[in-house]
Amino acid sequence: MNRVSLLPLVVLFLFTAGVLSALFFRLSPGEIIAALGSDETRFALRLSLMTSIAATFLALILGVPTGYVLARTDFPGKAILDTFLDLPLVITPLIAGIGLLFLFGQNMLGARLGEWGIHILFTPWGAVLAQTFVASPIVMRSSRAAFERVGPRYEWAAATLGLRPSQIFFQISLPLARQGIMAGTILGWTRAMGEFGATLMVAGAIRFKTETLPIAVYLNISSGDLGTALSCAWVLMATGFAMLLALRWIGQTPRSETLPSR
Amino acid sequence: MAEITLQDLRNPIIKGISMDIRDRELLVLVGPSGAGKTTLLNMVAGLIPHDGRILVDGERVDGLPPSQRHIGYLFQDLLLFPHMSVKKNLLTALQRLSITRSERNERISSMLELCHLTSLGDRLPGALSGGEKQRAALARALVASPKVLLLDEPFSSLDFRTARYLRLELKRIHSQLGTTMLAVTHNLEEAQDLGDRMGVMTGGRLEQIGDVQEIMLQGRSAEGGFLEKANVLPCAYQESLGNGLIYVQSAGGPLFVPEDGGKPFSRVAIHPRHVYISPYPPPGPQVNRFQGRIREIRHAGGMAHVELMVGDQRVHAQMTTEQAQALSLASESPIYGILKLRDLHGC
Repeated sequence: MNRVSLLPLVVLFLFTAGVLSALFFRLSPGEIIAALGSDETRFALRLSLMTSIAATFLALILGVPTGYVLARTDFPGKAILDTFLDLPLVITPLIAGIGLLFLFGQNMLGARLGEWGIHILFTPWGAVLAQTFVASPIVMRSSRAAFERVGPRYEWAAATLGLRPSQIFFQISLPLARQGIMAGTILGWTRAMGEFGATLMVAGAIRFKTETLPIAVYLNISSGDLGTALSCAWVLMATGFAMLLALRWIGQTPRSETLPSR
Repeated sequence: MAEITLQDLRNPIIKGISMDIRDRELLVLVGPSGAGKTTLLNMVAGLIPHDGRILVDGERVDGLPPSQRHIGYLFQDLLLFPHMSVKKNLLTALQRLSITRSERNERISSMLELCHLTSLGDRLPGALSGGEKQRAALARALVASPKVLLLDEPFSSLDFRTARYLRLELKRIHSQLGTTMLAVTHNLEEAQDLGDRMGVMTGGRLEQIGDVQEIMLQGRSAEGGFLEKANVLPCAYQESLGNGLIYVQSAGGPLFVPEDGGKPFSRVAIHPRHVYISPYPPPGPQVNRFQGRIREIRHAGGMAHVELMVGDQRVHAQMTTEQAQALSLASESPIYGILKLRDLHGC
């Protein structure tokens, strides 16, 4: 391999290293550690964890069955529906947030929900909703690919053994697809943790109320508090790094428990 | 135990098949790849849509989903659930039955013992050999006592020796349990070893069905047909040796032929696949041997059809093209042959 072909690799490495080192070395370790322990950072971390876990749970409830249906059925218009459901992946999160803002505003669902005592906008539930919107298609796509890889034949075998469709799904299809679904869940959760644009629109940027980690970074950069901003950024990066390790671990599951290679 | 009746089964591949499979029978359907054998099994199992009727013990099941037909299926690719141990695979098959835990455990133990898997119950399928997986899949298909068992090319992926052993195991299990079975295969030797009766499928149609030996000896004379017509050799009936053998004299020399209920015969039949030839004299006593000359070699569909002259008698041999090339056969060259005792039939 000649040296010229290594050039893009070197540039990419330096680019990534440059961005990370700029975050790491802007303040002293003592300043960062002090900020990590601040009430605001801890609140943002707690809220991010709660909203992202709730959003990921909802994404699983919606995405896994949808992925299964798309993997197993054929119907007119399937390609259009499939593309439509992928739209949240490509829509700018800010635009998605505006759409959610209007949908749950007083002129549409917001009024009716308000009558029932349910308030979405500018509350942590708004953050959950925004994160669910962006995480669901990731979970759905991963689930669909996982179910497609499993294929229908194990389900045929289960049917001939007398299992009902629900038993087949929970005992056969889901366990066999678990690697792909887990990977999708981790990616979806990472996306939810880092979600900013849609959350800003729907939940707002309210300190100690709707202040997730990305919102905390935004608020504190805007106000010049680099310590809190960078400590939240560190936590987000550490989360991302942990997710990458988890994805690698999933990819190394013992072969005896996985599908036979085709 | 059950009888199955198929009435005019049709779909884009199957062109209208009707047949009966008798109670406790092991019926084998043979045919080339693409004949529709697996499609037929999938229709009987309820896995693909079709027209026509399927009756089990006189009751229609074609409107029922696979889970309610009580039909076991040994798939060609086995489809053991890779995330479950052998025992757990069998346990999954017993979920449909309303039995106690101890009854379930008893059934599993019995089936593992029947299939010689007792020490392998806790293993995952990935840790089993090919033959062990086959037996585990068979155990799973049988553990819930299905009325009928379907087998799709049960031993096609195994080496010759293992396949041979498992055929005997399947015959043993079949005679012990008495389950009605419908198997499909492209392997004629497998069909002969397994079947109580045999059917021949080509192009989505059932061409023949009947006694295994009758089907093998009738065959079809069409070139490239799946079954070649048997060789029928005139012979002079000589004497019964009293040990189930008849000594006869044919054009090629002396032959020992299995006695068939004391019935006299003037001809001996043997399928071309069972005529073993070589350019070199085989070792051993000169019984059931012949010497002749190759008249013609034709190749069709990966098979070599060799026409021999043994004295003034035409004899046909059939083998794969690879086998013929390995033997370096050539027209007009001398040839030596063996006719195995068990493959000869007086008629």
